[in-house]
Amino acid sequence: MFDFFIHVASIACLYGVLALSLNLQAGFTGLVNFGLIALFGCGTYGAALASGMGWHPLLGLPAGIAMAALLGLFYARLGRKLSSDYWGIATLSIAEIIRISITNEQALTGGAQGISGLPLLFAGLKPYDGMARLALYVVVLALVWLFCQRLVKSAFGLSMKLMREEPQLARSLGYDLDRIRRVVMLVSSAIAAFAGFLYAHYLTFVGPDQLVSPETFLIWSMVIIGGVANNRGVIAGAFLMQFAMAYVPFIKDALELPTDFVAAARLIIVGGGLLAFLLWRPKGLFPEKVGGSNGR
Amino acid sequence: MAGNLLELKDVSKAFGAHKVLDRISFGLSAGEIVGLLGPNGSGKSTALNVISGFLPSDGGEIRLEGDNITNVSAQRITGHGLVRTFQLPSMPHRMTVREVLQAGASGNASLASMLKPFRFDDELDELLESFRLTHVADLPASALSGGQKKLLSVATALRSKPKLLCLDEPTAGVHPNLRADMVTILKRYRDKGVAILVVEHDMLFIRELCSRCVVLDRGEIIADCAPRELEDNARVVEAYLGKAVEKGKVAL
Repeated sequence: MFDFFIHVASIACLYGVLALSLNLQAGFTGLVNFGLIALFGCGTYGAALASGMGWHPLLGLPAGIAMAALLGLFYARLGRKLSSDYWGIATLSIAEIIRISITNEQALTGGAQGISGLPLLFAGLKPYDGMARLALYVVVLALVWLFCQRLVKSAFGLSMKLMREEPQLARSLGYDLDRIRRVVMLVSSAIAAFAGFLYAHYLTFVGPDQLVSPETFLIWSMVIIGGVANNRGVIAGAFLMQFAMAYVPFIKDALELPTDFVAAARLIIVGGGLLAFLLWRPKGLFPEKVGGSNGR
Repeated sequence: MAGNLLELKDVSKAFGAHKVLDRISFGLSAGEIVGLLGPNGSGKSTALNVISGFLPSDGGEIRLEGDNITNVSAQRITGHGLVRTFQLPSMPHRMTVREVLQAGASGNASLASMLKPFRFDDELDELLESFRLTHVADLPASALSGGQKKLLSVATALRSKPKLLCLDEPTAGVHPNLRADMVTILKRYRDKGVAILVVEHDMLFIRELCSRCVVLDRGEIIADCAPRELEDNARVVEAYLGKAVEKGKVAL
């Protein structure tokens, strides 16, 4: 049971990093990205490619970040021509195109079978390897949180918020909205790829099934339930959702419910949770703090 | 055509077959305050949109300090020192008045300087005080009244240290006392060399503030004169009242 807790907490930390990435885009800048999972996938496949090519495993990190940066810049470029709603649809489409391409490509990505046998971090520290990994993920989550806090409380953070709410006012004051979009996408893509790299070396397997669009909506539910544009809130949302979904099987056993209950309950947690919060508490458990910039 | 800060030459704009600006030419010097007047639909706001890059022109040339800014993007024009406000200013829900005002200072800043920590400085406090916004400084900007939003938009534009400030009906909905304050504040900035182009219907405000008026009617300039000369101008009187009126019987 303790190992299971360590496992769920580890995944929750990585989802927390991913939620912070989405929060920079959607929460603070108003970039409604439905293709987040593809940026995460750049990190997982960066790790897998390094492993498959026989490179040092750490080289998978810059490879993954570089791929995510390119994809993030492509997303940002699309944003110059598309309004918010259409941009969201475009990012979802691109993420699906990437997933389907990976599924049908064999030589580099292993197709639908994916790539397995990636090295597990701290494998030599058994029986404490799980705790060591969790400690690493907690440190990474804390560092990414600190970075995001510093960013959103800076003058650049003010420009992100102004772009989110009053783009015309931002333009009239001289803000280059394309540059803001580019920088936010670059930074948040790198963060998502970092989470993907750690995830790949945690599961030791990478496959296209990890990149299905419901994964993006799971991260969205963490952000919305935790609190849009609140970095602590989205981490709380990640832990809440991950633990709620992980402990569904225990509830099923306790109540002697059929196995089908697990999949249905998880869908209800994500979809129902999203709907409930959007209707009754749209600002999430921890609403954005107005006036939280660094000025004083 | 006066002016070497801003110069418009034969600037035109049409929406379909409807000509909104028909080869208008005028200019502004540094430290000059010019009123852009005219009845509703005369093309004042369109002129402001074209000058500030929010609408492309169909012809003519606009120069700011000698640089051709015709059809340059709004954001780049702001980089040249031209900042504008809007007729109906909309303010953010999740930013305080203080934060919006602070945002005015960094529009053309480098990325590196924007990433550094910042402090709300004395200049920001002075602007809040001048525009009587200190008591609402920490409220969401969207919570302000219509008049206060106008004041905040002018203050934010001034915070960006413009060379030319374009104001679109800055006193609509503003209390008369604050309107008088705004005249004082804008004249103070004029004395520092800031040029101001103001679209306004309030003739009292125009008389107190402007040294010159450019009057538009149906997209054409029908007068370019001092405010006190407006009521003696038959074309201006006719544009506003619809018919010729005996001299001495109008008060614009």
